[in-house]
Amino acid sequence: MKLSKGGIVLKALSFIFLICGAILILFPFFITIITAFKTQQESAENFFALPTSFYLDNFVSVFQEAGYLTYFSNSAIVTICSLVFIFLLSPMCAYAISRNLGRGRYYKAIYYYILCGIFVPFQVIMVPIVKLLGTMSLTNQLGLIIMHVTLASSQAIFLLVNYIRSVPPDLEEAASIDGCTTMGAYWKVVLPLIKPMTMTVLILNALWVWNDFQMPLIILNESPNSWTLPLFQYNFKSQYTFDYNLAFASYLIAMVPVIAAYICAQKYIVAGLTQGAVKT
Amino acid sequence: MTRLPNAAAQQAAGGNGMKRRNIVMVLFTLPVVILYSIFFLLPMLLGVYYSMTNWTGINPNYKFIGLDNYIKVLQDNRFYEAIFFNFKYTFFLVIGTVVLSLLIALALNQLKRSTTAFRSIYFIPAVLSLVTVGLIWNELYLRAFPVIGKALGIEALSTSVLANPSLAMYGILIVNLWQGCAVPTVLFIAGLQSVPADLYEAATIDGANAWQKFRKITVPFLIPILTMVVITSVKGGLTIFDYIKAMTDGGPAQATEAIGILIYRHAMSEGKFAQSVAESMILFVIVAIVSFITIKLTSNKQVGGDE
Repeated sequence: MKLSKGGIVLKALSFIFLICGAILILFPFFITIITAFKTQQESAENFFALPTSFYLDNFVSVFQEAGYLTYFSNSAIVTICSLVFIFLLSPMCAYAISRNLGRGRYYKAIYYYILCGIFVPFQVIMVPIVKLLGTMSLTNQLGLIIMHVTLASSQAIFLLVNYIRSVPPDLEEAASIDGCTTMGAYWKVVLPLIKPMTMTVLILNALWVWNDFQMPLIILNESPNSWTLPLFQYNFKSQYTFDYNLAFASYLIAMVPVIAAYICAQKYIVAGLTQGAVKT
Repeated sequence: MTRLPNAAAQQAAGGNGMKRRNIVMVLFTLPVVILYSIFFLLPMLLGVYYSMTNWTGINPNYKFIGLDNYIKVLQDNRFYEAIFFNFKYTFFLVIGTVVLSLLIALALNQLKRSTTAFRSIYFIPAVLSLVTVGLIWNELYLRAFPVIGKALGIEALSTSVLANPSLAMYGILIVNLWQGCAVPTVLFIAGLQSVPADLYEAATIDGANAWQKFRKITVPFLIPILTMVVITSVKGGLTIFDYIKAMTDGGPAQATEAIGILIYRHAMSEGKFAQSVAESMILFVIVAIVSFITIKLTSNKQVGGDE
């Protein structure tokens, strides 16, 4: 009897705690949404009041004056290209490593060589990268994509090598006995088998590349036409100090794609982000 | 072990095919190895070299000066203040992340029903860009909280917390926790669910109270996850950059000048290019040592909990 009473109290406390937490989590979103739909005057009168009309001019000016679509497509191009190359290169390398790890010294060496990247914070190579990309004329979106693909490889290979090791090699061997080339067996047999982990890697990197700020800042800051969304927002901040309704409108439209993706693929995104954390 | 017969089968299929397969396998690894060597290893090595020159970043003439930059950095008060900021920030970040996400996970684990909605809400911050979050909170500190502060009569909130040198760090910390607890919470929930229910039943029969059960059963099962959460938030705290850039840019009066910000400023705007590279090398050593200590400390406490 005593136990169930304590249990109920504990449950009620948990519930209240979670409600308070949820309000704290949602509060910034609430403010962002209401402010984005209000005029400057409305916000000045009462910052917390709901918008009185369905005012869309903030969004119109963000799209027209600030050229939001340019930055959106820049972000989209960088993210999609990075993901395509990560998808083409990392699983292939991980496959070769995991199938030969016990056989050749070369594979063991490159495995640990690539893993080192996990332990090096980006800030350590940040400054030399600027100079290196500068001398190669790569301080543009191509350079950014190359950097994303390179820096994604350590974690991707770590996750994928461990996953591929758990997949028995019987199927690919059967395929190669049936006359499949190594490339064919990889493409038709291995890739479909490791799809869950490839998806995890791609989801992790989709969010990482889309949201990344440090790399675009050091690589693209000089050329406003190639800015990605986070970089645009950062620079937008100083341009529109006084018209904060406009700023909130820009935050809102930047969040919409990511939150839409989250709503559609919540299960995969949560699994991807947590697995990525587990194995790092 | 099962590979032996397979390898034998392949050899039987012909040494030629085997050779070709090996070549293809090496080719498979090449793109990543080449990219990684040029765009990761090379910058590291260049960094070590630059850190021993007197390059300003602009002037094409520079010369090798040995360890002078390191000596300069180690005598620089601004560097120590930045390091101190990072350590203080990391300390609070680790404690805050562990306590908050563990509490949320325990609360979510208590409620068997209606947790899906809560979980969806608590995870949203994790998918957003750090800069967007930082900028939104910046506006909240500037415009929303002063109004609330005035209504409640709290003096500290009357101006933006971020404009106050002694409070700015906590302002950033709150934002970091708001966003950074999402993933650890999911990890802790997974950890809590990995504890076999019969252990709790057995402990209840033996007369253990809730705290004893938590301390003796739950905690040992959570140690591997705890290690991971601590390591990731240590790394996050020592390399904090985006939030500060978006919210205070190191100010007010260098109160939030973290080591990442200092490196960026020295390299990009203060013409101390070589010195900033030396600073980043020292940061690397610090992160390596702190991570190593964290792993040592937490793995010692893991007493048969990971079965």
